[in-house]
Parts: sequence; C-alpha cells; structure tokens
Amino acid sequence: MKKLVFLSVVLVMMLALVAPGATAVAQEKIKVDVWIAFQDYRWDWTKEVAARFNEMFPQYEVVVTGGYSYETVFAQVAVAAEQGQLPAVVQFFEAGTQDARDSGLFKPIADALGDRTEILGLPVDFDDFVEPVRAYYTLDGKWTSMPWNTSSAIMFSNMNYLRAAGWEKPPATWNEVEQACEAIMALENAPEYCFTWPNHGWFFEQWLAQQDALYVNNGNGREARATEAVFNSEAGVAILQWLDDLYNKGYLYYSGAQGGDSWSTVDQAYSTQQVAMAAYSSSDTTLYTQMGIEGGFETVASFLPYNDDTGWTGNLIGGATLWLADGLDPAVEEGALAFLVYLTNTENAADWHKITGYIPIRYSAYDLLESEGWFEQWPNQTVAVQQLAQSKVTPATSGALVGGFPAIRNVVTAAIDRVLLSDDDPKAVLDEAVAEANRIIEEYNLLNAP
Amino acid sequence: MVVSPVILMLAGAAIGAAVVAYIFKRAGGLWLLGLGLGAIAGAFGSALFLAPLDYCTFEAGRESLDRAFGLILAAAGTAIVVAPLGWLSGKLLRHESLIEGQQSQGAFRHWWIAIPLLAPTLTILLLFLYYPSLETLRLSTMLSRLGARREVFVCVDNFTRLVEDKTYFETVVRTMYMSFFIVVLSMGLSLLVATMAYLPIRGASIYRILLVWPYAMSPAVAGIIFLLMFNPSGGLINYLLGKWLGIKLGWLNDPKVAPWTIIMASVWKSMGFNILFYIAGLQNVPKDLIEAGAIDGAGVLRRFWHIVWPMLSPITFFLLVTNLTYAFFETYATIDYLTPGGGPLRSTTTMMYRVIQLGVQNNDMGKAAAESIVLFLTVIGITVVLFRTGGRQVTYGV
Amino acid sequence: MTVVSRESARVTPAIWQKVRRWWPKRWYAHLILILACFMSGIPLFYALIVSTQTNAEVFRYQFTPGSGLHENWHVVFYERHLHTYMINSVIMTLGITLGKTIFSLLSGLAFVYFRFPGKWLVFGFVLITLMMPTEVLIIALFRFINKLHWQNTYWALIVPFTASATGTFLFRQHFSSIPAELSEAAQLDGANPLQFLFRVLVPMSWNTIGALAVVQTIYAWNMYLWPNLVMSDPDMQTVQTGIGALRLGGGALRFGPLMLGTVIVSLPPVIIFILLQKQFMSGFTLTRDK
Repeated sequence: MKKLVFLSVVLVMMLALVAPGATAVAQEKIKVDVWIAFQDYRWDWTKEVAARFNEMFPQYEVVVTGGYSYETVFAQVAVAAEQGQLPAVVQFFEAGTQDARDSGLFKPIADALGDRTEILGLPVDFDDFVEPVRAYYTLDGKWTSMPWNTSSAIMFSNMNYLRAAGWEKPPATWNEVEQACEAIMALENAPEYCFTWPNHGWFFEQWLAQQDALYVNNGNGREARATEAVFNSEAGVAILQWLDDLYNKGYLYYSGAQGGDSWSTVDQAYSTQQVAMAAYSSSDTTLYTQMGIEGGFETVASFLPYNDDTGWTGNLIGGATLWLADGLDPAVEEGALAFLVYLTNTENAADWHKITGYIPIRYSAYDLLESEGWFEQWPNQTVAVQQLAQSKVTPATSGALVGGFPAIRNVVTAAIDRVLLSDDDPKAVLDEAVAEANRIIEEYNLLNAP
Repeated sequence: MVVSPVILMLAGAAIGAAVVAYIFKRAGGLWLLGLGLGAIAGAFGSALFLAPLDYCTFEAGRESLDRAFGLILAAAGTAIVVAPLGWLSGKLLRHESLIEGQQSQGAFRHWWIAIPLLAPTLTILLLFLYYPSLETLRLSTMLSRLGARREVFVCVDNFTRLVEDKTYFETVVRTMYMSFFIVVLSMGLSLLVATMAYLPIRGASIYRILLVWPYAMSPAVAGIIFLLMFNPSGGLINYLLGKWLGIKLGWLNDPKVAPWTIIMASVWKSMGFNILFYIAGLQNVPKDLIEAGAIDGAGVLRRFWHIVWPMLSPITFFLLVTNLTYAFFETYATIDYLTPGGGPLRSTTTMMYRVIQLGVQNNDMGKAAAESIVLFLTVIGITVVLFRTGGRQVTYGV
Repeated sequence: MTVVSRESARVTPAIWQKVRRWWPKRWYAHLILILACFMSGIPLFYALIVSTQTNAEVFRYQFTPGSGLHENWHVVFYERHLHTYMINSVIMTLGITLGKTIFSLLSGLAFVYFRFPGKWLVFGFVLITLMMPTEVLIIALFRFINKLHWQNTYWALIVPFTASATGTFLFRQHFSSIPAELSEAAQLDGANPLQFLFRVLVPMSWNTIGALAVVQTIYAWNMYLWPNLVMSDPDMQTVQTGIGALRLGGGALRFGPLMLGTVIVSLPPVIIFILLQKQFMSGFTLTRDK
C-alpha cells in the first residue's frame, strides 16, 4: 500500500515535470524550432551551426530537431499542422513541394523578406545562388523556400575493378555500363555484383529527365496543376528494361524496395567492395570517397549513366529546401529568416559541401572552395556541380510538381521491384503504376486543390 | 432492382419479428410482444449502417457491387440489433442472471459511489476505444488526408475497391499463411520442447530458464537481431552458408524467402511463451493417468496422443488465440525492422503493415480505416471459428 | 520404460554399465533441449559479441569480442541518447502499469461491492472492449490524439492504455472469491469503500496485482507501433523506436552500436520475466476459468 502510494506520487511528479506546458516556464529567449530530416552526422553539423547562431544572437534559441527521413518528416508536418504546432522552419524534400504549396502553411521567403538586403545585420544576396537551384526553387516567379541541401544523382565507381577490366574511366552510358559489367564480372577476382543503386523513386525521375521525358502532364506540373502521370512513356519503359537486363544477367545487386533503408544497403555493398559501381546521390560524395580510402580502393565519381538511344539532356536537382511557416510571431519569423540566411552563408555553404557532398549552392562558396584548392584535391566533389551546370533547363529536367508525390514514388518503387523480381512485362507494370498514380493525383487534387 | 429504405426496413422488421417472437414463445413469454419488439428492432437494425450513409449504395449510377454491399450492410445491421435483443429477452424471460457469478453480498450502501470508481475506466474506454471505433467507421466512408482542405464522402468505395484490388487479396492470403505458419510452427515446436523439458531429467530447471527468455524480447528487437544475422550482403548466415555450402539466400530480398525470415524471427521470439505455458499445462496432467497408460502397454506416442494431448487442449486453445493475435498485430515491429517498406514484391506486407503504410505514410486515412475494419472482421472471424470448433472447454472473461 | 532399461542394464557387461551410467538417461531429451537452447541463445549471443565490435570486425565475421565497445558505447549514449529513450520508456511503463492497476482495482471494487441500476449494461460495455484491439482503431486513435494535441507527449503513450477490461475482470474475479463477511465487518467498523479497498482488499491481492503488473510491464516496455506513430521528436522516442536510429551514422548500417543498444534495452524485461515467471504466468491464466 505504502509502496503503491509512493510510486504513484513519484509518477505524478515525473509527469508533472515533463508534461507539456510545465516546461514552458517563461523563457526570455525567443525559440525558433527547426525540423530537419537527418539523424546522422548531418544533424550533428546543423546543431553546431545553430549553436554558433545562438551565440551570435543571444536573444534567440534555435532548436534543431532531427527526423528519421524525408518521408517521415513530411508525414509529421501534416500532423503538426493539424495540432497547430508547426515549427518555424521545416525541411521538405523536392517531392513535398506541391503539397507544401497547397497546404497554405508556408510563407514564401521572398514575401517574408520584402526588399530588405540584410536581416539582423546578416547580408542577404539571392543573386549569389547558383542557377539550377534558382530555377528549381523559384515558383510563381519568386523565391519560395530556402535552398540548403541540393544534390544530384551521380555514379561512384571502384576504379580497382574498372581498371582491372580495362576501363580507365567510368562508363558514361547504359550500354557502356553493361559492357563494363561484362568485363568486370569476367575478372578472376570479380566482385559479387557489378552495379547497384538504391531503389528510391528519385532515380527513376533522374533517368526520365535525362531522356527529356515528363513525369506528369502540364509541363511536369509547372504550367498548370498536374492531373495525370505520364511516366509510362517509352523512356520510362526503357529504364525498367535496362535495369531488368542488368538484373537478369546477374550484374545488378538489387537493394530492395525498402524505402529509406535501400540507401544503407547500397552503402554496405559498396564499402565492402561487393559491387563495382553504384548510382547514388551526390549528397554522400565525401563519404563514398572516404570509403575507398579506408577500404584501399579508389572511388571516382562520374555523371549518372544515360540512355544511349536518347542522349543526355540533363539531370534534376534533388535534396531538400527549408520552408518558413506562415503566421509566425514577427520576432520568431525574424529569427527564423536570420537563421536561414546564416545557415546558407558562404562559409557554411562551403563547409556543408565539404562534409557531405551537397553542391555548393552559392557561387561565392564555390569560389571559396576553389581558392582553397579543395576541388583539385577532391575532384569527385565537382561532378554534381558540373552535371547540374551542364544540364539543359527543360520542363523535364526542372523536375515534377505534383500532389501526393511521396505516395506516387512508392508506386514507382513497387513497380521497379515487380519488374526485377517477377517476369512481368515492364510496359504493363508501368501502365498499372500510372493508373495507380493517376488515382492518387485525382484524389489529392479533389481534397487539396483550392 | 429498385431497393428503397422502406423495403429494407420491412424486410428487417420481418426477420426481427420472426426471430424474437420465436424466442419469446420458446421461453414462455407473450409471443405477440416479441413480434412487436422484434419488428421495431429489425427495422431499426436495417437502417443502422445505411441511414448514416444516406442509402448511398442504392443511388442511381451505382454498380451492382455497391448494391450488394448495401444489402450486406442492411443484413449485418439487422443481425447486430436483433441478436442481442433475442439473447437478452431469452435470458430475462427465463429469469436467468445476466452476469454469471454475481454475488454482491456485503455490498456497500450508496450505490452512487460506484460512479466515481468506474469513471476513469469508463471514460478512457469511451474516449480511446469507443470513440475511435465510431471514427474508424466514419473515416472508412471518406477520402481523408491530414492537412487537406476538405474531406470527401465516397460512400462504400473504400471497401468495394478492395474487391477489385488484386494486391489486397494477395495481402490477405499472405497474412493468413504467414500467421498460420507462425502459430503452428511456434506451438508445435514448443510442445515438443516442453515435453522434453518436462521429463524428469537432470538440469530440467536450467533448461527451462534458458528456453523461455526470448519471450521477453520485443518483436522489434527480434527484427533487429535477425537483421544482423540474415541481412543478405553482410549477414552471418549467408557468410556461413557461402563458406560451407557455397550458397547464398536472399533472406530479405528474395520474395520467396523473405516471409520465411519473418516467420522464423516471430517463431524464435514467441516460442518462449508457448514453452512456458505448455510446461505448466503438462504439470497439470495427473501422473497416474500416464502411468495407467504405461501399464496398459500403450506406446509413448499413443499415450501422448490419447492421454496428454486432450488434457492440454485448454492450454492449446488459449495459446492459439494469443499466438494468433501476435501473428496478426505484433509482427508489425519485426517486419518494420527486417524488411522496412514491406519486403520485395510486398512479400512481407501483412494486413496490419498495409494499414499503417496507407494511413500514415501515404496519408490516405479513409482507405486505411476501411482496411482496418476488414482486418478487424478477419481476426474476429477466425476467433469465432476457433471458439466454435475447439473452445468449448474454455471460457474467457466472465 | 524404466522397467525395461533396468533389465537391459543387468545383462550388459561391466564396461557397458559404466558408459550407461555416464551416458545420460533420456539422451534424446537432452539433445533436443540443448539444440533448442542453442537455437534460442545463438542470436542473442552473437548480438552480444557484435555489440563490442567495429563494423569492420563485424564484416570479418569474427566470433570473439572486438575492439569497438568503447566507441559503440559513445555512439549509443553520447552521439545518440539511449538513456533518454530509456527514461521515456520507464515513464511510459510505470504510467501504464500503475494506471491500469489502480483503475482496474477501482472498477473491480465497483463491480463486486456495489449494486447499481443497469450494472449488466455497464458490465457489457466493458466486456465488449475485449474484442476491440487498439491496432485496428489505430488510424482513428492517431487522429484523435492529434486533435488533443498530444503528439510528442507522455499522455499519448500512457492514457489510452490505462483502462483495461482484462484488469477489471481479473480483480472482479479475485474480489468475488473473498468472503463477504470481510466487507460486512469493514462496514460495521465504519470504513468507506476506498479504505476497505486499500486496507483490506489490496493487502489480500498482492499476488494478483503483481501478476497484472508483470504482464503489463513487459507489454508496455515492448510496445512499438503506437510510440512509433505518436512520437516524432527524437528526444521523445521510447527504447523500441529509438534503437533504430543507432544504426544511422551516415553510410553503412552500424551494427555495433545497434546491437549494444538492443542488448541494453532487452535486459530489463528479460530479467523481470525470468525472476517473476510465476507471477507472469498467473497474470495470463487468471483471466481464464478452469
């Protein structure tokens, strides 16, 4: 009895301590909540930047919360919005762009900034952002969200295998990949597989854009609201056909349809030299280069291989941007804006690029890195920059804007899964996927279109 | 065929009247009263689900599948209202107590004190079980997304589309077969091991401890540990298989194998529980019964089959129900860690997993709610079948 | 069977008898049991070893403790915050177990020691919830929790699970078996129902309370799906949902920290389970009529 009473008292005290509201003792600092989608070293880095910012501006307390993945943060924002507990800044991946626009939860950066050229003494210079970034994140003619982690899909190759097979540089096209694989797999100490990639919807989009083919109608949703998916074109089928060929020949190590975890499966296969080449995001260029150094092989980054039949038009931007919540307290908004500007200033943009491989999003950051001799020392780091710079800007390479995109990506991933693991015809599978995607778009528009 | 609310109500009333009047008559009550009560209940029941839907299944332009679904709803509603009424009136007429074991001797005065005593439990049940149940029903007729501008009523489309959805049918079948193997393998192996551990051998008590602890591991941890052992590129099992036998299996990325990895992890985790209860059950088997069998000269297997197994049947039944719940719901965590995303070719996507994928990741709450209801009916259906076929010796709850 | 073996022993030569004595009786039982122990133990044993290894050692498949324990420990408790997850889990487990026990005691008391109108209806109201698993209501429950603004609070983890039909019936049954004279005597002494509950009934019910508590503790500690839905803040994860993050460090999965975390979070329920096995079993079987 006494024990029970004691325990309940303890419990009540604990609950009182942690209960919402109980912690909100009048704080003098203005709290700025920032949600990002990382829980690894990138989260740690961002927290360090926030700590420096908090030191510079003692009136603010920027709190960076890490999320498991883009997809989970995306889902959490909907929940937070319903609760009226949206943080000041949210990191949304490119696939969340349309949903974020429709939600009415966010305020375009340009609107929040007005015509000011500095905020809290920090200079604001939007002309300094590199062109592809500007093209992607200018919606309805104005800066909508703050670019931060911008990447592209590229390929990493284990040169030890390639050289042994007589290739001095990584293959550039689909056919070349197949030829290189043939040679590599014939080696005496061949790896288990030749090529791999994370089965994430983004890569399908990349290969589609390279062929200048659209994902959804209405100019990839940029001329008007997208109403139909169109990725079951010849270009789409060709992607599946190519992957299926590689798989059937035993060249492809398939990472599985496991959402976020397919990335680490590829990491593991590449770092343990079970594969010779991996299509991947440039976001981890630093890591992949390092894997080679630690594992005793040379990693060379190259453009993402493209379809020989259609040629290369360009690749799309990947990664995510930071969105500013609407309806914030003016003081919070000011702090949030200042943090966004600080986070993406020249030094931080350059540092961010160094530890990850996301492209330097400012010309000045690029110049800074160049003057340090960074790119000479680490040539892999320029590949994504070059790939985006050389891309022709068309509706296809600008990337799709469509509601319910994350769900559509799951449909595409499942379709690729099916083509690889079953005998079903790529065209038929893709047609079914488009039908499913159309249903998602239709329902999304029904519920969300203004 | 034109189906109108009136016709359905009349039909419901007729069925209700017949059933309740019959019960009244058998229990020696006024059958005319039963007729009236049953008619009202039946009419009400037929509208129970359909009135909130505004009889949308019979609107012009609806397909025959919708109409059939409407009829099922009318029938189900009628049954849900009429059956309890019949049961209750039968009991009352026969002057049977409604709650068994009702003693209430030494009851306190001031009956209203019971209200604050029951309040916490009832409030929580109401808010966190009853309300969500109704909300699930409501959501299942909607297109609904968190953060969307509006919700749209779609009648029973969320259900009827499941009939045409090939992947859903596959999911149901897959859930059944995975559950079947998890339950049967886990219980079968546990019975074998428990029988051995029950024998009077040296170190029996140590064996027992070493055997039952995995139960306390969580389904999530089972998934993580099996991920370590079975992940296809760096896992221990494939390394050993490759070294000794020269083969490698796609434990997590081959659609034929992946469900079995889940089954193995679940069996590994749940065997402890089953062994524990089977040992306890064996201890309840009277020794003289077994010895009598031995004198009769019955062989070990025959003795087991004819004497021990029947004595274990209450335990077996209890374990069946518990394991089934485990296989349907708790395996979610194992699947989520072992094959996040639901496995190659969705080969480890169970009904539960699909509900979460649809409702939370894809933010498609209406369809997820509809699938939850199907899941609920499936589990209830299997449990009822189990109770009918094997559960007569055992009663739960009351 | 014993008869037969004694006879055969008599006719075998002396040396054979020695072997027989050494050779355990019912060797097949030992064989099966050892095999079973091996099967259930190996995965955990391997997890233990990996928890001390660096990733490189893991992929070298080395079966001896490695050199990574210190670093893994650092990852688990400094880079990620397993202790935070553990505190969250402790609060959740305590909250659910205490809440469920107290509320079940109260409602058990009401059902046994009070006569009130419509009792059977209230009873039925509680009874029916046995057929409503939370899992099938989860989408609606999730929405409701959001409407209450309970996302990322302990309330969301605890409150929905503090009412229990099972617990109510458990105590109802137990109280019913306690002689009515006790409550009559208590009333004569002028005790009110709560005094009667805590001074008379509870001291007589420690076994039942313990049984319910053990089952609930293990259940709550091991919950995954629900905390995963309602807790998005990394500092509000419970052990089951939080350990997943231990493998993420950028690049390949880090098995060492993951396994160290796994072993640590599994210890409490395993210890409780082994020590309180009897209570655990009675907790499960008590709700069953024999």
